Amino acid sequence: MSEKRSKTSILTGNVSRRTALKGLGASAGLTLAPGFVRYAQAQSSEPIRIGFQAHRTGIGAAYGRWYERTTMAAAKAINAAGGINGRPLEIVTEDDGTDPKRGAEVVEKFASQHKVDVVYGTLFSHVVVGAAPTAGELKMPYYVVSEGYHVASGKLNRYVFQPGITDVKAQVSSMAPWVTSNLGKKVTMIFPDYAFGHDHRDFFTEAVKAQGGEVIKHVPIPPTESSFTRYFPQIPSDTEVLYHVMVGPAVLTFVKELGEFYGGGGPKLFGFIDSLEAVDMASPGLEFLDGSHFWEGMPRYLQADAPDYVKAYRDAVGIDQNGASVDDPKDVSTAAHMFGCWETLYVIKAAMEAAGYQGPGDRQKLIEATEAMTEFAAGPEHPQGKKIFNGKLHQCFGHQYISQVSGGRLEVVHRTEIEDSMYEPEGDYTTQSL
Amino acid sequence: MLLAATAVPALAHVSDRAYVLLLPTGYYLIGGGLAVWLSFAVLALVPPAPLDRLARWRSAGAATWLDLRAVTSTISFLVLLALLTAGFFGSRDPLSNPLPLVFWVFVWIGVVLVQGLFGDLWRWIEPWYGPWRLVMRLLGRPDARPFLPYPRWAASWPAFAGFAAFVWFELVYIAPADPEKLARAMAVYWAVAFCGMVVFGHRRWSRRAEFLSLLMTMVARMAFVDIRRHRSGRIALRLCLPGARLVNAPALSASAAAFLLLALSAISFDGLMRTFFWLGLFGVNPLEFPGRSAVVWSNSVGAAGAFVALWALFHGAVRLGARMAGQGPDQAVLSGRLVWSLMPIVLGYHYSHHLPALLVDGQYALAAISDPFAAGWNLFGTAGLHVAAALTAGADTAWLIWNIQSAAIVGGHLLAVAASHVIAWRCYGSARRAAISQIPLAGLMVAYTVFGLWLLSTPTGY
Repeated sequence: MSEKRSKTSILTGNVSRRTALKGLGASAGLTLAPGFVRYAQAQSSEPIRIGFQAHRTGIGAAYGRWYERTTMAAAKAINAAGGINGRPLEIVTEDDGTDPKRGAEVVEKFASQHKVDVVYGTLFSHVVVGAAPTAGELKMPYYVVSEGYHVASGKLNRYVFQPGITDVKAQVSSMAPWVTSNLGKKVTMIFPDYAFGHDHRDFFTEAVKAQGGEVIKHVPIPPTESSFTRYFPQIPSDTEVLYHVMVGPAVLTFVKELGEFYGGGGPKLFGFIDSLEAVDMASPGLEFLDGSHFWEGMPRYLQADAPDYVKAYRDAVGIDQNGASVDDPKDVSTAAHMFGCWETLYVIKAAMEAAGYQGPGDRQKLIEATEAMTEFAAGPEHPQGKKIFNGKLHQCFGHQYISQVSGGRLEVVHRTEIEDSMYEPEGDYTTQSL
Repeated sequence: MLLAATAVPALAHVSDRAYVLLLPTGYYLIGGGLAVWLSFAVLALVPPAPLDRLARWRSAGAATWLDLRAVTSTISFLVLLALLTAGFFGSRDPLSNPLPLVFWVFVWIGVVLVQGLFGDLWRWIEPWYGPWRLVMRLLGRPDARPFLPYPRWAASWPAFAGFAAFVWFELVYIAPADPEKLARAMAVYWAVAFCGMVVFGHRRWSRRAEFLSLLMTMVARMAFVDIRRHRSGRIALRLCLPGARLVNAPALSASAAAFLLLALSAISFDGLMRTFFWLGLFGVNPLEFPGRSAVVWSNSVGAAGAFVALWALFHGAVRLGARMAGQGPDQAVLSGRLVWSLMPIVLGYHYSHHLPALLVDGQYALAAISDPFAAGWNLFGTAGLHVAAALTAGADTAWLIWNIQSAAIVGGHLLAVAASHVIAWRCYGSARRAAISQIPLAGLMVAYTVFGLWLLSTPTGY
């Protein structure tokens, strides 16, 4: 039953704990295998408690649903293989309502009430920024899966890590070489006029310049806008590439009106899948995107050359060839982001094992062990690909994918090198005291 | 709404609205408004007597003497205890814990709809009656005589205050779906209401001071099942036309009328507060909704303002109509009777607004009740249910749901126009004066139709 439940969004800590204990009993022999000798001496068989700060309600709920499914799938896989340091993993889920104030309360509750070992899983940037100070004050290791630049900016604190997903600055800048050499050098950017859009504007404009291209026009759109046709005349006629990152409920309207404006012609389009994450690419109104390109954090559609560990990851999470739930083809996953949950849990596992983590008294050792990590190899634990981890920045760097829309699917046409996404670090958390 | 709120309030899916934005919703707004206006025009021209006869029509009935109310209410109370226990000690996840799901989805969305269609189910499942009977017996009052008379001056204001607090909790409080916080609020409210029932009598307190019971009995007047209890203990069941029983309902007191208006303003504001329009008024970026904690004040003021605005509009329309018609019944009686005609609108919008949450969070609820303590149980065989969380997603579904919602909104308003027409005729006794008196109220209903459809079609931030 627990197997079946893990596919739903309703698995909870206690259930996974039972699964964990069961799994551990069944695989007791594993503790004698060479790699596990050290953990056979684990002093406690109490579960390692991971506080999962989930966006179950509020604006982040659609993402939160898949973050939860991925988290439960990873926890199950880790437990089936013997847990962490011989101890099972228990996921304790608390909803933060995608609200920064509640986010901070949840971190505190995890520390004082649930007595978890670490807190993990926050996605939305404003919630991370709101909750991180509390994690720092409580000296609670806080592993976020947010893709925001806030961790790498050096503005948070020593207890906050983002080891399982790359940040938006790395993602955006790494697109510039391919875009300028394959789509064109004269770029117009159309973006929502607030922090999310501004990050894209700033990072991409700079990166295009470094490639010898030019962003010839910025077209900011007020966030409350739901009709866009009147902004399109601002796009210069000599634009070769239109870079778009619209988000929210009006995205389909945006694409439809753009198609009507250009009537099949127009510049080449490049976008971020954030716009259409969890939206079926074969939706009516999206026809105009056929042939255009998108950034993807990890391919949503199963690629012909996908390694076995990618297939195993997708099976474990429960997504089909189109990146939708195997139980419900309409339930399209947030594939470009949710792998970060899987990978982050494995980073926590590796760091705890390296630190010989026994309990909350070892949290400082855990911080230092995480900072000491440098590289995560591609494989079952890191299905998105290899990562380089900067312990001073608390941020990982990795490959990015560029995919083309083709027949209602996304086909990968390019994978960037990790080096394409690296930039001059702006901070060093290791100088802060623990 | 809750989670929904989705559910509660919180659970609705942001992306569903994207498909609705592609639909020609503007035509629906115009068409809906026109339909309501035309229906009023037609009613004004035809004699009201046949409509009145329709409202009086009842089918042949069935009767029973079996009233297991004390038993069903006690069972309900025990279920409540179990749910509260789950709220305190079960999963912290509002989509796994049965308390928020059962309350916000099954009770707040589901039971209200059942009441509106089939009649007063709540009377049998409210969780106070059984325990109250028992406690009165233990207190040496087997005749259940109250200790104090309910003060007349209080009217239905205690229920109004309770309902206002509930609306605030649902729409404004930052964590209405948090299992522990909800459990605490529900436990306190149950206890307070129970004390009120012991002291002032179950019947009085339920009708005047306990907001859920008052709301449920009001909603039940919409149903097409007419349930009557005779002094002999016989319970008669007959069928009638939906909304027919609104026209012979007794005039509501000022407090009870305010209560009913609050039901409509609250459900309307629940839609309004999520719109780009509303968020824009307060400088909140709807694409980066900062969370409920950032809008506590604006939404508190908004929820109160929505009530005051609707109260003033309704009473203004009735007063203006009375002036236009000249020399009619007492103003308070007129308002108190006409306010019943808003009930179909409340129910139509309640249904439309919560339909997506009902479909999705209802599944979470079914799964959660099988394993209330997240202990691996499977009480009803639904613990492994796959929740089709994207049930309401996609272009085809968006079209279907939008049309169902539009039909419910427009249908509710058509029924409201018809009901107010008959009520006015009964009050004025003249078809012509009744029709004239209804012009302002019909105008308000046309505007409200367009407003309701707009709420369901405009972009929302969360």
